[in-house]
Amino acid sequence: MADTARPDFWTRLQAIDRRWIYLVVWVVVMVPLIFPFKIRPVATPPVQNLFNYIDTMPENKALIISIDYTPDTQAELQPMLIALLRHTFTIHRKVGILAGAYVQSLGIGEDALRQVTAEFNSHARTNADSVLNGRDYVYWGWTTPIITVMLGMGQRIAKVFPVDYYGEKTESLPIMKHLKNYDDAGILVSVAGSSIPLYWINLAQTQFGIHLGCGTTAVSAADWYPYVNSGQFNGMLAGMKGAAEYEELLEQRMVKNGKDWGLRRKGSEAMSSQAAAHLAIIAFIIIGNIGYFISRRRKQ
Amino acid sequence: MQRRLPLLLVLVTGIFAALPFFIPHHSLQAVDETVRNDVLRIIAAFSLVLGVGSILQHHFTKIQRKTSNWQYSWITVVTLFVSAVIGLFGGIDPSHPGILPTHIGHFSFHIQTLYMNIMVPLAATMFSLLAFFMASAAYRAFRARNLSATVLLAAAFILMLGSVPLGRMIFHPLPSFAEWILTVPNMAAKRGINFGIQLGILATSLKILLGIERGWLGGG
Repeated sequence: MADTARPDFWTRLQAIDRRWIYLVVWVVVMVPLIFPFKIRPVATPPVQNLFNYIDTMPENKALIISIDYTPDTQAELQPMLIALLRHTFTIHRKVGILAGAYVQSLGIGEDALRQVTAEFNSHARTNADSVLNGRDYVYWGWTTPIITVMLGMGQRIAKVFPVDYYGEKTESLPIMKHLKNYDDAGILVSVAGSSIPLYWINLAQTQFGIHLGCGTTAVSAADWYPYVNSGQFNGMLAGMKGAAEYEELLEQRMVKNGKDWGLRRKGSEAMSSQAAAHLAIIAFIIIGNIGYFISRRRKQ
Repeated sequence: MQRRLPLLLVLVTGIFAALPFFIPHHSLQAVDETVRNDVLRIIAAFSLVLGVGSILQHHFTKIQRKTSNWQYSWITVVTLFVSAVIGLFGGIDPSHPGILPTHIGHFSFHIQTLYMNIMVPLAATMFSLLAFFMASAAYRAFRARNLSATVLLAAAFILMLGSVPLGRMIFHPLPSFAEWILTVPNMAAKRGINFGIQLGILATSLKILLGIERGWLGGG
């Protein structure tokens, strides 16, 4: 008679249908999104350094943001872009934005600018309080190849981008009188889901000495620590957690500057969901390993 | 000649591309600027034509031969043309209109609407599937089978716990310890790997420039 003994609990648990795992992940991600629990992020040194650097930039220096990510990593990186724009407008610095590496980033920049300018303009009482295209910010758009952009911007930005994203001649924009090349920029922050920040180091920083910062996905953050440590990046926002930490610092700054508007902080909102997902994966690893050791001992 | 000309072109352009980084003479810098701003852009424009031509050829061949899932090729071709026409002639949105009308009544189909309602959800959905696969892989494959795997497991454990509030509640210095793992052992390993990669790139580049490595010419 054939052996029809049912496998024990641990063996069955190891061979569990992966759809159960998917279901658990779905639940632990969705429930905290709907019923979030409060997490107060504490800024890590790379985030604090980037925030401090931008916050204390001289008045005549602008921030340049290179959007080097596409919609697939938008959920993780868009809160960084939003926070950087809010910060710049809060401290009344000028900002130039470009879709650095990918043409797909164009819509991301447009979406972020619409949101943040609407937030600031809805609270503006005077023209000086408003955030205006061409005066307070410029959206250069995208051009190719990337080597032309990174090296060319060090000489004359208007030559690399003769017209902005909306088709206006860049030379005719008032902001461009104060933003001719990297010398007029306090720092360039590359928000990236790939290895593009490395190109900014190799081409823009090595040639022109511009200060750099980066915002990156959590999964690639480990790659950038050598550059943070060497000082090539003034600071770094690593993943959703980095965005949440920056949002926390920014909120304190906005309150201090009389801009206590209670704006949505999507990075911080998603932290509870991310924390729950991390805990679920830790639990999976523990259960998987317990099952593995028990099964191995029984076989021996 | 068929092989010598491309090799010569690579040698000359490769050396010329590197020289401006070492020689700051204004005449060389001026030529370099022209090459970067004009010549490279023209080449990039040609590559766009090549790319669109290639994708169209691939999908029309699939449609013609009715290979598996050939119907989806129509979707690619139609999407390519529709988004290109709207992007080129439809403006960005109602506040920046183009020459092509991109709304019917209140229904708008300008490029930003298409982008936010089609491109963004599709790309985000594809990427978010990773979380499910990672969780499943962590459950099935992340085992402390030997010393190396155990060290990896312990490091991952500390990093994951260190990045959630529970980690700080369990052991207050845990987030700092997680940060230390990233900034010291991880960084040391990454630096070593980076040095290796960069030396490899340098060696391979020199081999290509000098015509020792000819794999890029094709023909096996």
